Amino acid sequence: MSDPASALIDRCEAIVNDLDHTSVADWKRQSDGTERKAVGFLPVYVPREVIHAAGFLPVGVVGGGDALEIIRGDAYFQSYICHLPRSIIEMGLGGKLDALDGMIFPSTCDVIRNLSGMWQLLFPDKWAWYLDVPQNLSPRLGGRFYAHDLQLMAKELEGLGGLEVTPERLRGSIEVYDVHRGITEDVFALRREAPEKVPTWELYMLIRAGLILPVEDHSELMVEYLESASKRTAKRRDNPRVIVAGAFCEQPPMGLIRTLERAGCYIVEDDFSLGQRWLREPLRITDEDEPFGALAKAFLEHSAQGATRFHPDGEPKGEELVRQVRECEAEGVILASPSFCDPSLLDRPMITAALDREGIPWTGFKYAENTGQFQGIREQAGTFSDSIRLWSEAS
Amino acid sequence: MTIAAGIDVGSGAIKVSIYETGPDGAETRHALVAERIRRRDPTVVTRESWELALKHAGMVAGDVAYVATTGDGENVPWATGHFYGMTTHARGALHLDPTARAVLDVGSLHARAMKMDPRSKVLKYRMTSQCASGTGQFVENIARYLGVPAEDVGARSLQATEPEMVSSICAVLAETDVINMVSRGIDTNDILKGIHMSMSLRFAKLLRSVGADGVVLITGGQSRDVGLLATLREALAKKAKNLQVEVRNHEQGIYAGAIGAALWGAWRHDYLARKEAS
Repeated sequence: MSDPASALIDRCEAIVNDLDHTSVADWKRQSDGTERKAVGFLPVYVPREVIHAAGFLPVGVVGGGDALEIIRGDAYFQSYICHLPRSIIEMGLGGKLDALDGMIFPSTCDVIRNLSGMWQLLFPDKWAWYLDVPQNLSPRLGGRFYAHDLQLMAKELEGLGGLEVTPERLRGSIEVYDVHRGITEDVFALRREAPEKVPTWELYMLIRAGLILPVEDHSELMVEYLESASKRTAKRRDNPRVIVAGAFCEQPPMGLIRTLERAGCYIVEDDFSLGQRWLREPLRITDEDEPFGALAKAFLEHSAQGATRFHPDGEPKGEELVRQVRECEAEGVILASPSFCDPSLLDRPMITAALDREGIPWTGFKYAENTGQFQGIREQAGTFSDSIRLWSEAS
Repeated sequence: MTIAAGIDVGSGAIKVSIYETGPDGAETRHALVAERIRRRDPTVVTRESWELALKHAGMVAGDVAYVATTGDGENVPWATGHFYGMTTHARGALHLDPTARAVLDVGSLHARAMKMDPRSKVLKYRMTSQCASGTGQFVENIARYLGVPAEDVGARSLQATEPEMVSSICAVLAETDVINMVSRGIDTNDILKGIHMSMSLRFAKLLRSVGADGVVLITGGQSRDVGLLATLREALAKKAKNLQVEVRNHEQGIYAGAIGAALWGAWRHDYLARKEAS
């Protein structure tokens, strides 16, 4: 009997693997001959609500993965930085991002900042925006700054031919994304409860499709998936429950995620899609709330404690990961960082110190989006899985 | 008493074991099955081997409390859990020879040396690189080219008088070496021992790099090859004199992975039962 959830994932896979963004081009074409606009954004976090309120399609751009050979992109970046920017340049020069009318570069790290400059030099006719997110978490300083920054971005989008981002329109978009956030968390909750029903490679594909599809369509897709996957009768195996952390920007190849699962791990939480789950709570905006301020407040108060967000001195890093381990009843953590990813790798010593303090087993490795050999990772994940199940109690 | 099964899905053969463990630590064997894949669908061979093992044990699937897979058996649908090959070979080796403190697992496509503690916890390991030279599949291919049945390779190697080494780095080069030897009229027994010598040199390096100490048990598909055992002992005596090791093999060495999987499966079953009860 065919599995409806698998069919949905096949659909997602086709959308994600289409590096030419055909579905975006299709969305832009309207029946009356006019054309809508789409704006790309890079990881980690961009408030898609603002783009949506301008009537544009927000499209997450995370590189070509292992399906794109980098030839020209390598010429623009040093060998000692991550793979993502060279992949984005390769896509741009190869016309794979032509469907996008503009690009937003959030202040994730120096590399993304440099990429934004390179992009503007290479594609001067394309609209580009560098989005500064606050590193001062005081509402009076960082909050005001960020709300103002978002208003500037909204004005720019209007200038690109978008709708005026009125408070009413932005409130409407926030509500749409609140629904999306709720459903997203429901899917992740099902995986936590029954990882045998929601393999992480499937969930990853489902969420990645959400970077491309209109939010309303993606919400419907997730509801359908949730209904189908929850009815599955898969056998639960004696696999350890693990969290994968550190892979929040440059994405691992699908083969790596499959390898971790095949090696006998149930991934019950991950940060592959951190940007899409950046705001941890629904905004529940009212007609009285000023929506730009509400987005800024949510960023300051309810956002994920990722490596790209300022962390005040005195609060040990890794505490959120430890809390996640407890909440998810995870038995270990796999730290997967892109090679040369400063935010991920610089946090690792503090994170491992926090895990060690709590006696939580962990292992770590590095990858690139085009990593093709998984035998080493298979061994590492397999022995980690065995060590959790056989030696954490027996040793 | 806990009944558990181990299914070792290898590149060349499927091995299945069914064991019963008791609270006193007794480990009783009920079935051991090995079936060559021989270009068939491995999933079909796995299913058939499993059913044959159940038949040998006089059991039905429901009698088995935990089915553990190892090797490439991650996707066996009826499995309860999966253990990594190193973990299971170490446990299987300890079962076959309780004095073993290191394992040399020589399979179809790779070989690996492991040093372990008295509980079979792997302390250090090294694997051969990606080239198939010096592994079971390579030996079998050469034996086939030479017209020697695989089961006779070891005995023929022992009869060699003037062996010649082949490349231990690359299977293609090694095959070329063998072709040259055949054309030069080198005796088949000498060619076979030359292959064993090359493999043993490589394995001696692996054992030295893990710091093997004490009894080393050969497991995997080549564990019954007496020619390999002899040349490995010679290689260690010549090239690793500082290693205090005694290399042994075992009649059931090929089943070590499947045995280890079954025994760990039984342990996990009992552990989970205790955890649930407490």
